Formats: sequence, C-alpha cells, structure tokens
Amino acid sequence: MSDRKLPRLLQTPAVLLLLVWMLIPLGMTLYFSFIRYVLNSLRRPEWTSPSLSNWRGFGNYEFVLKSKDFVLAIQNSLFIVCSILFLTVILGILIAVLINKTFPGQGIVRVLLISPFFVMPAVNAVLWINMILDPVLGLQGIAVAGINDILDGLRQMPLLGGFSSLWPEFEPISFRATQTSAIAVIMMVTWQWTPFAVLIFMTSLQSEDQQQKEAAILDGAGTWSQFRFLTLPHLGRPIAIVVMIQAIFHLSLYAEIEIVSRGNGNKNLPYLIGEFANNNIGAASATGIFAVILANIVAIFLLRMVGKTLME
Amino acid sequence: MAIVAQSSKFSSYGRPVLAWGVGLLFFFPIFWMVLTSFKTDADAVKPEYLFFFTPTLDNYLNMTDNYDYWRFARNSVITSVSATLFTLFVSVPAAYAMAFNPTRATKDVLMWMLSTKMLPAAAVLYPMIFLAKGIGLYDTHILIITVLSLINLPIAIWMLFTYFKEIPKDIIEAGKMDGVNTWGEIKEILVPLAWGGIASTALLIFIFCWNEAYWTVRLTTIDAATLSKLIEGNRAPEGLFFGRLSAVSTAAVGPIVVLGWFCQKQLVQGLTFGAVK
Repeated sequence: MSDRKLPRLLQTPAVLLLLVWMLIPLGMTLYFSFIRYVLNSLRRPEWTSPSLSNWRGFGNYEFVLKSKDFVLAIQNSLFIVCSILFLTVILGILIAVLINKTFPGQGIVRVLLISPFFVMPAVNAVLWINMILDPVLGLQGIAVAGINDILDGLRQMPLLGGFSSLWPEFEPISFRATQTSAIAVIMMVTWQWTPFAVLIFMTSLQSEDQQQKEAAILDGAGTWSQFRFLTLPHLGRPIAIVVMIQAIFHLSLYAEIEIVSRGNGNKNLPYLIGEFANNNIGAASATGIFAVILANIVAIFLLRMVGKTLME
Repeated sequence: MAIVAQSSKFSSYGRPVLAWGVGLLFFFPIFWMVLTSFKTDADAVKPEYLFFFTPTLDNYLNMTDNYDYWRFARNSVITSVSATLFTLFVSVPAAYAMAFNPTRATKDVLMWMLSTKMLPAAAVLYPMIFLAKGIGLYDTHILIITVLSLINLPIAIWMLFTYFKEIPKDIIEAGKMDGVNTWGEIKEILVPLAWGGIASTALLIFIFCWNEAYWTVRLTTIDAATLSKLIEGNRAPEGLFFGRLSAVSTAAVGPIVVLGWFCQKQLVQGLTFGAVK
C-alpha cells in the first residue's frame, strides 16, 4: 500500500465515528427545533411524532426567548460559571505558589490536594448537600447548634450575661432553598476544580525561568514585585487555559444542580433544556441550539489558544 | 531588607504549616465521608459521636442488601473498561498516523476533533434517547460503551498524539527499512516505546468514564445503570442513612481517587491538550 493512503486509512475510523456523533444528533436537534414536537398532547395528537408537516419556523425560538425562565437560566449559568472561575483561579494561584517550594511532606500535601478532583460529581453533590451543608444533621447544623450552645452559656453567666444583646442566636442556612442553592453548587464545584487549577499552575511554575528570578532578587526586587512582574505574566497562558476548559465543563453543569435543588429557582441552561424536554421537545431543542452557540463562543477562543502550540 | 528576613522565616515555619492546613482542608470532606461510613446510621447524625464512636463495618457488609451495590459496580466496570479499550483501539492508529505521517490537513483534523468535545451534551440528549429507543439499545451496555468512547475519543487522540510526537521519527523509519509492515510497526516498535504514554492515557480515560454522570444517568434505567446513577438516585436521604450512604459513596470513589494519585502529571497533559508543559 502506498505511503500516502495508509495514514488516511488509519485515521478513518476515528474521523467517521466523530463525524457521525457530531452530525446526526446535532442535525436532529436542529430539525426538532423548527417543528412542533411534544411528547403528550390530547388536543393535537399529530404533534407527538416528528414530522415536517408540523413546521413551526422560528416559533420555538421565539417561545424560548419570551419565556421568563430563559433569561433566568442564562443569568444563572453565567453567575455560577463566573463565580467558580474567579474562585478557582485565585485559590489556584495562591495555593500553587504556596506549595511550589520544597517543604516537609510536600508530596503528601499534593496528594491530599488533588484528591477532590477524582470524586465523581454525583458523590460530590450528595456528600456536600447532606453530610456537610444540611442545616440540621450536617456539619453546618451541628456547628451552628454548638455555637448557639456556647452563646447560651455566656448569657447565663453572672456578669457577662447582662450584655445579652451581645450574644445573638445564629440561624443555620438551608442550601436547598431558592436563593442559596446556587451558592452550594458554587462551593462544591470550586472544591472539586481548585485542585485542577493548582495542578496546572504548579506544572507551569516549574518551567519558570529561575535565572531571571535570581537576577531580579539581586536587583533588590521584593517578593511581591517578583510575583507581580515575573510569575504572574508567566502564568498568563495557563490562566487562560484553566478559564476556558472550566467554562466548557461548567456551562454544562447538571448533576450538582439536580441533586442540590432539582433546579428549584436555580436553573442553568442544561437544566432548562431538561425541563422543556419533559414534554416540549421543540422548545428543548431550540434551547439546545442556544447552548451550542454559547459553548461555541467560548470554544473559538480556546481552540485558537491551543492551536498556536500545536505542531511546535 | 525586612521583607527578605520575614520571607525566610515564612519559608521554614509558615509555609509548611499553611500548606498542610490547606491540604487537610481540601481533603476533609473525603475524610469525613470515609469516617461517617464506619458509623451506624443512628450515630452518624448525633453530635456527641462526631469524632469518637464505636466503628462498625456493617455499612460495608450490607451494601448489597441496602443498595445492590455490586450490580451497579459491575456495570461501571464493564462499561468503563470496554469503553477505554475501544477508545484505545481506535485512537492509537489514528494518533500514530497523525504523529508520524502528518499531512497538511492533520492540524485541522485535530482541531476539529477537539471541537466535538465542546458540543453541550444537553443539546443532543433528546435525539440520542430517540435514536437509542428507536433501535432498541436504550439502557444497554453497548449504548453506554459507545457514548463513553465517543466523548473520550478526542482527548485520547490528543494525549497519544502529544506522546507519539516525542518519539524520534528515525526509529520508525528504521523499521520501515527492515521491511516491517504498518501493523508490525505499531505492535513491535511504537507500543513498546510509548507504553508509558498509552498506559496513562488509558488510566485517565478510565477515570473519566467511571465518573461520567450525564449520559450514564440519562440513558439508563436498570440494566446498564452505573454507580453514578445509584448515587444520584439516593440524593436526599434526609439524614436517615448517612452511614450507609457514606459507605456506598466511599466504595464508589475510593479506587478512582487512588488511581488518580498515580496520574496527576498525565492529567495536566491530557486536560490541557499539551498546551501547558
């Protein structure tokens, strides 16, 4: 076989598989987004199977854009993703710089730190919302009850008790509620993904130019200016990559939201799609197309970054 | 100069203490889950038994009765192992061709493969359910293996590509001179040389398959349901079953966390597509 044909042949299975995987479901989503298609309808049974005769044009898109939940879901998606990105990048840099120098037990600390990243998302969410954040039986509830007991004791004391207005009663927070469930999701995902940021920043710090650093120290640069003018610029690229990879993953966050609150007041785009898909497949598909567009905006930037280093 | 003096003091005392503090803080939720798994369900919610209690193995011994754990674990093993093997089977030849016989299109093909990874799963879930039910594959191992393979294929090809690129072309060329055919090249020369890279790719793909929680939950009901599905189904025990739920969670994530410790380095390479070194 000739030298040119064979390489192509070896790639063909992979390319074909991915092509089918991309085109067929996405094509169907696109098709469903332009027709009336519901799972149950007593009034219009003809809508319950996909057919071109139920063409709706951009009707599904209009319906989705007009629904109040859509704006909410976009806002919430962005709020959750941005909060997680902000926290993981800041924490990641701080921790990476902290543990990058040798100290006793560095290897063990690394292992402890990276562990959360390998916990499956379903376990992560169940563990946090029940065992840790539950307002009564979780650690949060137990801690708040303990603090209140101590404050109660202070109130009973002969002299200090007189200042009873100083000893407030604390209320545990329910993280399954509408306003707080997004916070719980942000907490658990930040816990899981900070290790990822730390790992990448550490890898990058190890390739930092040490001679340049020594020269800066000789010139009398303090710790802060070394960090500000040498380390931070060196981390620019890894930061961009951490931000974009996480954005891709977190835009499709689902398990955590489902487990924490069943989307109670805290829907993101994938969750809204799931809700529409309970009956209105047309609207779910139109929302899906919006999600694809949103992901692509992020993806273009990421691909450009990665593409630059490719083939080097 | 005061800053320098301070920073050296920080290096010898402050840094280790702070670093250990952060490490333990991040590990604490996992530690807590493991600790709770040795408490009875009743003890698990009593403040007086927070750290001191009579440990019991009952939660682990009763995992089969309580949750039918082994059935889900078996499905997780079958789907993750098969998907990992299938992914390697497709990706090793592809990455081999791209690394050693690149064409002008190779770069674009690689970028395109990566872009398939960015398709939001929720956007194509319903068509997948529709198709799977249509051809009678819904809730089968085959379906889950196929989906897991496809979502991990781009990552596998990228990782292998970055490993293979490091191998000197001359070695492969020398094999060609000796009249070895392509299959022989892969088997006799490439695989022994890139064994480490292939193994760590396999490990990482296996971890991703095991932890996957979107497709596996939504495309199964009973027959092919994995551990993700089991845990998701017990999301709100209302404090009644903290002990047993911790045990089954520990059993679900324990092996993977330990595996993860061994492939930290590969994780960086795999997840950043070789862009951070």
